[in-house]
Amino acid sequence: MVSVPPPSSFAGFGCRQLGRIVAPFADVLLSADFPDLPSDRRAEVVRFIERRAATVPSFTRFGVTVIGALYRMLMAAPGGDRIVCALAAMPIPVVGDYPRLVRSLGYAYIWDRWPDTTSTGGRP
Amino acid sequence: MTIVSAAPRMEAEVLVIGSGAGGATTAAVLAEAGLDVLVVEEGEWIAQGSIVPFSLEQMDRQYRAGGVTVALGLPSIAYTEGRCAGGGTEINSGLYRRPPADVIDRWTRDFQIADLDYDEVLTIAGEVEEALDVGTVPGPPTAPSDVLRRGAERLGWQHGEIPRWMKYTNGGSGVRQSMTRTYLPRAMTAGARIATGCRIDSLDMAGGSARSAATTLPDGRRGTIRFRDVFVCGGAIQSPALLQRSRIDGPIGRSLAVHPTVKLAARFADEVNVPDDVAVHQVKEFAPELSFGGSASQPGLVALALSDQWATFSKAITDWRRISLYYAAITSEGRGRVRTIRGVRDPIVTYGLTRRDRALLGSGLARLGLLMLEAGADEVYPSFRGAPIVRTPADLATMNRSFSAGKASVMTVHLCSTIPMGQDMTRCGADSFGRVHGTDNVWVNDASLLPTAPGVNPQGTVMAFAIRNARRFAAKEHRRG
Repeated sequence: MVSVPPPSSFAGFGCRQLGRIVAPFADVLLSADFPDLPSDRRAEVVRFIERRAATVPSFTRFGVTVIGALYRMLMAAPGGDRIVCALAAMPIPVVGDYPRLVRSLGYAYIWDRWPDTTSTGGRP
Repeated sequence: MTIVSAAPRMEAEVLVIGSGAGGATTAAVLAEAGLDVLVVEEGEWIAQGSIVPFSLEQMDRQYRAGGVTVALGLPSIAYTEGRCAGGGTEINSGLYRRPPADVIDRWTRDFQIADLDYDEVLTIAGEVEEALDVGTVPGPPTAPSDVLRRGAERLGWQHGEIPRWMKYTNGGSGVRQSMTRTYLPRAMTAGARIATGCRIDSLDMAGGSARSAATTLPDGRRGTIRFRDVFVCGGAIQSPALLQRSRIDGPIGRSLAVHPTVKLAARFADEVNVPDDVAVHQVKEFAPELSFGGSASQPGLVALALSDQWATFSKAITDWRRISLYYAAITSEGRGRVRTIRGVRDPIVTYGLTRRDRALLGSGLARLGLLMLEAGADEVYPSFRGAPIVRTPADLATMNRSFSAGKASVMTVHLCSTIPMGQDMTRCGADSFGRVHGTDNVWVNDASLLPTAPGVNPQGTVMAFAIRNARRFAAKEHRRG
């Protein structure tokens, strides 16, 4: 009889860390992309991104955690927010997929929730 | 209706894992043949129509990982899987195509599928069409559909309305005839039970036989289901992943096939956006290599489509009511893999496009842009980084020069071929009726069995094959007495 052990706690890999990594990055990115998005709405979008990021499959979560940690370190440097936003605009393979993921979740949420939002995030 | 709570210890003559197009039909055929059937579904039972189609709420509740699933590669390809009772049939476009004769013929020859009678497949397809109320939209086409029709007619390209499984009321609105409204109730009427919120972690194998399944219940407890036979119907990603976690060897998970798509947003003078529905026209001038159709166009998805080139496309978003999304889908020569690693919950999925695939995606996007301009689009916004706004046919040349698949948001919804069926043991993970090679009682009966991507919406083909295979199994059971 071959008995396979159930999937281990790797399933929960990085769940706690992920929130701390993704949320500040999403906040910086959304602040830059949508200067007119009210702060309460931005906070709601960030919470959504954080929640959704925590449900991605194991390997994606691992990648998001590793790449997200790199961005987080950059953000801690002087002028880090500007550097991160500039980096996020560059089409870097794999590394660029992280800001792309965060952006896609954020953009989809904003217009799903508030369809008449202006292009800068303001109320119509 | 017999929806049961998943318990730590359960038993059934036949366990069906998954409740989508393959699992629901399998359960109905076997239950109606008098077998004791238990269907186990990882997601929840959500009544069809109780959630706005293509909304984020639907993605949260009915898609695996909220719809954030990706096949890694250069570029990575975003895909979606249903994770709810009814599986993908609850969330897809509902478009129906009969199994194509030339494709079935090729599969039979190339993969040595025994006793595959196309007339039998067509007869079953006819039954499916009746059960699902497959038909065309009464009255005039919706605005996004009419865009495709108009553009194709001006260009002289072949096009047509694709029927779908939808029951229309007099007012014209339709109710999708997904598995939770058709084959699952049929299975339950015949005595099948369905347990939702229950994940199958692995099958316990003894030699070539599976005797039980290890489960995780909704509250996190572990459990076991004992059975005589098991049908794995979790779809083209989860089915091979389960077999691999169960240490079943063979060509399993090595030949993932998809229809990669690229998208664009097109803005018109009039309002064309229908947020909760998709276009039912498709343009087939270049089929099977290339097909054009309409995508879900909720405002959130419009923003997503514009986000690749937000710096220049962003102003269009306030005009989303005049914007609809369209896709160019290709039949890909590339292949992907599904791999599991011990101790890791989810499989890793990879996909590699060939040089020909990349070129075809580019020419497909250009032709789709032309189609939109001919249909009267004021502006076209292709979904790739660095894309220009297209206003004239001349702009399409500029677009073509700046396109590369690596910069595009490539997506797919049609996943198949990870456990191809047939007698060619070097390429096929299952035999001609879905029994996994090297096992006595493990069957696969979903899109994994299709030897290649069929080049059309695959659900009709999946259902026809699943019913054929389940009937064969039931007939053998009957003979066994």
